[in-house]
Amino acid sequence: MRKLSLARAGVALLCATALSACGLGGETAAPSSAPATVIPELAAGQQVSIVFESYNFGQAGAWTDTFTELIGKFTAAHPNIKVTPQKPQGNSANPATDTVSSLQSQLATGNPPDVAQLGFSELDFSVNQLKAAPLDDLVGRDAVQKNFDGAKYPYAKTARALGDWNGKTYGVPFVFSTPVLYYNADLFTQAGLDPAKPPTTWAEVEQAALALKSKTGKEGVYVDCLTKSSKDWCFQSIVRSNGGRVVSEDRKTLSFAEAPSVEAVTAMQAMVKSGAMPNRTQQQGTEGFARGDIGMIVESSALQGTFGKGLKTGLRSAVLPAFTGKPVVPTNSGASLFVFAKDPAKQRAGWELIKFLTSEEAYTTISTKIGYLPLRTELVNDPAALKPWADKNPLIKPNLEQLAKMEPWVSFPGDDYVQVRDGMMSAVESVVFQGADPSTLKGKQDELAKLVPGGGR
Amino acid sequence: MTAAAVVSPVDDEAVGESGRARSIAGHVVLTLLSVACVFPIYWLYATSLRAPEDVYSLSVLPWPLSLENYADAFAKTDMVGMLVNTTVMAVLTALGQLLVALLAAYAFAAWRFRFQKLLYLMFVGTWLVPFQVTMLPNYVLLSRLDLLDTLAGVIIPTLCSAMGVLLLRQHLMGFPKELLDAARMDGRSSWGILWTVVVPTLRPVLAALGILLAITAWNEYFWPALVLRRGNDVVQLGLRSFMGTEGNDWGPLMATAGLTCLPVFLLYLVLQRHIVNAFVRSGLK
Repeated sequence: MRKLSLARAGVALLCATALSACGLGGETAAPSSAPATVIPELAAGQQVSIVFESYNFGQAGAWTDTFTELIGKFTAAHPNIKVTPQKPQGNSANPATDTVSSLQSQLATGNPPDVAQLGFSELDFSVNQLKAAPLDDLVGRDAVQKNFDGAKYPYAKTARALGDWNGKTYGVPFVFSTPVLYYNADLFTQAGLDPAKPPTTWAEVEQAALALKSKTGKEGVYVDCLTKSSKDWCFQSIVRSNGGRVVSEDRKTLSFAEAPSVEAVTAMQAMVKSGAMPNRTQQQGTEGFARGDIGMIVESSALQGTFGKGLKTGLRSAVLPAFTGKPVVPTNSGASLFVFAKDPAKQRAGWELIKFLTSEEAYTTISTKIGYLPLRTELVNDPAALKPWADKNPLIKPNLEQLAKMEPWVSFPGDDYVQVRDGMMSAVESVVFQGADPSTLKGKQDELAKLVPGGGR
Repeated sequence: MTAAAVVSPVDDEAVGESGRARSIAGHVVLTLLSVACVFPIYWLYATSLRAPEDVYSLSVLPWPLSLENYADAFAKTDMVGMLVNTTVMAVLTALGQLLVALLAAYAFAAWRFRFQKLLYLMFVGTWLVPFQVTMLPNYVLLSRLDLLDTLAGVIIPTLCSAMGVLLLRQHLMGFPKELLDAARMDGRSSWGILWTVVVPTLRPVLAALGILLAITAWNEYFWPALVLRRGNDVVQLGLRSFMGTEGNDWGPLMATAGLTCLPVFLLYLVLQRHIVNAFVRSGLK
């Protein structure tokens, strides 16, 4: 009979697997219940341990080290709260793209992280599907607003409501960047252009790019906002700057095939056709610029460090170019901090952690060590805080300037938001880089509208 | 070795000008293929040996040579810990899979029992189920057993290798039954026969299979990435920690990748005969 034992074990294993798969469905379906009253403060000496998931822990070097240091400072100030940091699970090259799937798989086990850092484009999904806890309900609207006001320096006005949904704050905006025009001053000089006067409109960008190409033999400009891999945050900036929107203001109707948007995409296509912009993938574009083979790039300010390391000299920055006669409307990329804990003590501990990570002290550490922009912008004028750092890093100025006129990166509605976003960007990519007719955007919009709740029209 | 095997029949038949031309063409094709295979590995080591500011350089020879990327990789990650962990993981996984495969194959080959064919088919069938299908149930099970974030969590769900069972069973089917019968008549128990008669005869196969399984486990990325959330405990995960939102840190990434390849290269150099054997044998019988 012993001979059969292995086979039996195999059958038992199959059954166990099947059963656990059933359990999975059961747990995800369970509704979450948000407490109606404000959660109590932690009692003195009440021990709580929480898990904090952030994609910053997925990247070695300054990111992991800075966040580990901050967690250390937090636990020193709150000895009763133990924080276990973790990175999102998953297999993407960029841990930041695994945040939602990671949360989903952990929710399936009934054991999500207590605090998580999620991107702004995931806001709808985080609130409605992942059931992030509304902070206004947990700790009271006053406490949330008081945190935004800060001890000394308040949040930038445009940044405060980026994690709000239906008038309630779910996420506290934590880090973000805006699209910036980086250019290579050495190549500008070689091409006879004035590095002190970077192009301010798309028409000037095209001219400068063609000059760079003909005089230096290098490529002109790469706009990293027009491919599926670039996602749509900075594409939204370009469309908004031409007076359009990718989705209507009430977020019910797709509008990326309307005239202002089509016009903007056509302008980008024209730059590829004229040879001002090379046909490159995102990776080739960013590395080409870092190598000094492309004169300009429109890119997230988050890549400044990489460019600085690659170019050694000559890296300069300017605000996002405008369409002639129209105002520039930069949108933001970045992430907020959400609470997913269900237990009131863990929720309170999570809120304490969020308060600490968005404090003046934490931003001073994060900005100087990682280079992220502080959302408490006035810190850069305080000699005791970030002024010395800001003086040493003039490249952050366009990013700071753009904060004042920034608009939120709008997330697409519904559960299929990723398909809608990727579908739109694939259509844009084939127009700009593969020469498809700009009118194909309309067909794509009609097709994707079916994925939007209510038919998207 | 493979190249020689492919080309030699042509050489034997090569008569006159056209035969020589064909032989030269064959060599040219094979040379191009070899360069295509080897070049990415060369580029990996070349990039890892460039100075950090030259990492984006496209020059074929990395000059001046610099070990700074290696120093950077050691400074930013616990390289030694990762290499030790990965070795432990790969060795334990391979040993576990060998043991399970040996016992299962022995049962399937040496006895006749009810539902034998059906059970064997089920084993083979698991080979056809993509890992992504069993990934979440396995993950949930690990979470309930509290094994997430442990090396045990990485190893235990992978302990049964259908390929191992298949391969060993095929070998055991060709094992002379007379030997088993003789041992039984000598009064050996089934267990005794396995370890004193079967295993010593199968040693070359076991060695070859063990190496294949260890290399597969060493290279595994997907499953450890799911289970180990709180750190980069194995070297394949350490590699990813140099990629991120703010761009890829190519220098230390290539240095870590270079170090990760070394143990497998060494294993291959030392045990080349066994590895080639493993591939050849798996296609036999």
